Amino acid sequence: MSYMKPRRLSRLAGVVVLLLLAGCVTINIYFPAAAAEKAADKIIDEVWQLQDGRRTPRPSEAQPAGQGSNAEGAKP
Amino acid sequence: MSVRVWIGILWLAFAGLLPGAAGAQGNLDIDTPAIAALRTSMQQRHLQLAPLYASGAVGLAGDGTVALRDASGVPLAQRGQVSNLVAAENADRAALYREIARANGHPEWEADVRRTFAQRWIERAQAGWWVQAGGNWVRK
Amino acid sequence: MTIGAGRLALAVSRVDHPAFAIRDLSLHAAGGAASLTLEIAQLRIGASEFRRLTLRCAQGELGYPFISCRGGRLRIGSEDLPWRIDVDLDLETGKASAIARGEGAARADFHADANGRLHGRIARLPLADAAVLLQPLVAAPAAWKAGGVVDGEIEWLTPGAVKDAAAPDGRLIVHGTIDGGSFGSADGLHAGEKLGVDFRFDASRQRGRWRGAGSIDWRSGAAYWHPFFLEAGARLDVAGTMQGDRLELQRASLRLEGVDALAATAVIDLRRRHLVNGALTVSRADLAIVGPRWIAPLVAPQAAERLRFAGHVSAGVHVRDGVLDEVDAAFDQAGFSLPGAAGGGLALGPVSGHVPWRAKAGSRAEVSVAGGRWERLTLGPFSLAAELQGDRLAFARSSIPLLDGAVVLDGLAMQRGTDGWRGSGQVVVEPVSMRLLTEALGLPSMGGVLAASIPALKLHPGEIALEGALLVSVFDGYVQATGLRVREPFGVASHLSADIEARHIDLAQLTDTFRFGSITGFVDADVRGLELMHWRPVRFDARIASSAGSYPRRISQRAVQNISALGGAGASAAIQRGVIGLFDTFGYSELGFHCVLRADVCLADGIAGARRADDGFVIVRGGGVPALDVIGYNRRIDWNELIERLQRVISGKVAPELR
Repeated sequence: MSYMKPRRLSRLAGVVVLLLLAGCVTINIYFPAAAAEKAADKIIDEVWQLQDGRRTPRPSEAQPAGQGSNAEGAKP
Repeated sequence: MSVRVWIGILWLAFAGLLPGAAGAQGNLDIDTPAIAALRTSMQQRHLQLAPLYASGAVGLAGDGTVALRDASGVPLAQRGQVSNLVAAENADRAALYREIARANGHPEWEADVRRTFAQRWIERAQAGWWVQAGGNWVRK
Repeated sequence: MTIGAGRLALAVSRVDHPAFAIRDLSLHAAGGAASLTLEIAQLRIGASEFRRLTLRCAQGELGYPFISCRGGRLRIGSEDLPWRIDVDLDLETGKASAIARGEGAARADFHADANGRLHGRIARLPLADAAVLLQPLVAAPAAWKAGGVVDGEIEWLTPGAVKDAAAPDGRLIVHGTIDGGSFGSADGLHAGEKLGVDFRFDASRQRGRWRGAGSIDWRSGAAYWHPFFLEAGARLDVAGTMQGDRLELQRASLRLEGVDALAATAVIDLRRRHLVNGALTVSRADLAIVGPRWIAPLVAPQAAERLRFAGHVSAGVHVRDGVLDEVDAAFDQAGFSLPGAAGGGLALGPVSGHVPWRAKAGSRAEVSVAGGRWERLTLGPFSLAAELQGDRLAFARSSIPLLDGAVVLDGLAMQRGTDGWRGSGQVVVEPVSMRLLTEALGLPSMGGVLAASIPALKLHPGEIALEGALLVSVFDGYVQATGLRVREPFGVASHLSADIEARHIDLAQLTDTFRFGSITGFVDADVRGLELMHWRPVRFDARIASSAGSYPRRISQRAVQNISALGGAGASAAIQRGVIGLFDTFGYSELGFHCVLRADVCLADGIAGARRADDGFVIVRGGGVPALDVIGYNRRIDWNELIERLQRVISGKVAPELR
């Protein structure tokens, strides 16, 4: 410590301050938009019963009239 | 102090920042029992909602909900039930967005989760379904 | 006025009559008498106003005293009416007749006699045409579609021979029926079908003011008026006055199924289609009928199919200057229940009391609740008082009896926002004996008491947070629940979460209660992140371990067998079958179990730090004489299977499996 030059000391202090700052920033967790989209797609696949996860629906899905809709289902 | 040293320090600082940001980009937990119950409930309701989406009676709104858009094609006696169905779906959706935010330890993400879902529901809607774009209803 | 008897002018700037007013009338005769055109810039009949009326006659005769028109076509604004109109007018006697024939059998005959009596008969008039004629009067946007036919009579009587100040200027009598009527808004949120309506109005006019009465009897059909579905069987009787655009209903009574009496008064601005002032009183409405039809769709459409109502309510509603100003509701033996997704649920009633609400002032609601039920627990009678102010609701301290204790709500205040209710308060559960509680819940009887102190209850949309502790003193020790959260309380995903800490639980009492064999000693348990859905655990991280201290530690042969049986084929007592049969009890030094429940699988472990080379985990470590170890090998236990086995063990229907 005694042989450390004041200049070097100040540089070290700068590094420490910046690292602390960076540390503070990383505590902020941003909303993970891409992960949320992935999660949304997974749930939409399941709720809408889209088999392959792409936009193309299953044949049964394309013709909802063929599904056993109950009394609450309405037909135009 | 030389410029190179400062660049080095800045680089270090960003390197320290990056793992945090990248770490948050993993997966969202959607496998809680509450979310599973909501998924099942919504999947079952979809059997009734699908023909209503197709006929245009119900559309996908811009705020992540569904809306009674044009009930004129629905038999009169069933309009009340369709209206209840829409309300029940929206109650489930609101709970789903809250639960996803909660399950991942950030209840304050609810609005972001809702916004993301709103985009995805609309983006992935089938051709012929009605979706809300900038406040106006359009047919996909 | 430029028209006089015996003289005919082609342009009239103004005609004012008690029943109607005309501005800028002109009559053209082209090519001698071959065709006639009548134009009226503005015609006002009562509150109805028409602009740019044109009647073009294919064949006309303009003479004195007879004017006639054959095959006339009427146009209002830019709209052509599909009618052929014949008009005959005798200027000398004042007699006139007009016959209009429309598509199909539609026909309207009007006759005016010499003393000004006008009589009209309408047959099979399409409602769509009537809607065009009545549009300025009927508060329906142009985009609405109407169907059906009207039959009826209209009569205009001018004053008799006696002229005094009190005599009316005229009297209008209208009656008729609508058959196969329908209407619909473009979005389908307001529509009616197969409507059958009888109507009758009788009004007199005096110095610019109409006074009269009428009735509308809705005989058949159905309507949807978002969010309500209505069926025929209602009858409306009204009496009132109309001056200019201002309609005053002094008395309106509606006969509606499920309601003893429904009366209203109103002041309506017809031009602005706006309720200026109004009052509505509902006397003794049967909640079993009006609840599902009128209350559920409005208050809780998402749960409309589950909500149940009983009892009666009377109510009064006031609107002032177009704004809802006062609401009063008086409940008489009313009952409300919301069955849960898996039975149980919440029920309150009978509820009696008065709930007032004022837009610009505070009010105090007081109701007494004779009882209730929450899941399997019966609630005793209690009273609720609350201060209401706008969207705010502040409850006075209230004590809800629960078994031999009570749930005391204190300082609970709530405010309704766009996304739901928010609020805070305090809750104290005054000691409830575990003996009564376990009995009510259908559990084996336990001693001890349950109490809770929740200094901060917080209500958010979708969450009730209880900051405090629920404490159960049981089996010589205690169980404490903290961080209690009820999420999505009324939805399908309703779940409860908490952290549980149990200390110094006497195993002798516990095993005896659940007939699990016999273990002496004490355990501590920590259950972190416990989540219950429909009262079944779906998630937790639980650890059970022997309490510290010096106390006798013995385990019975049956308890060993039961523990082994719980683990299924994977668990075993590390002792030979022959040996275990020789002793009734064994000594142990420590017992421990760790289970992390995720996705219906319990990830099991034994005493902390007691790892074995064969990957087994020690659940009971032997000690004393004779000693034995109970070792589990199955680290992934199906939770439902485990519960099933536990139930079989408790009911004594298990054959212990030993290796």
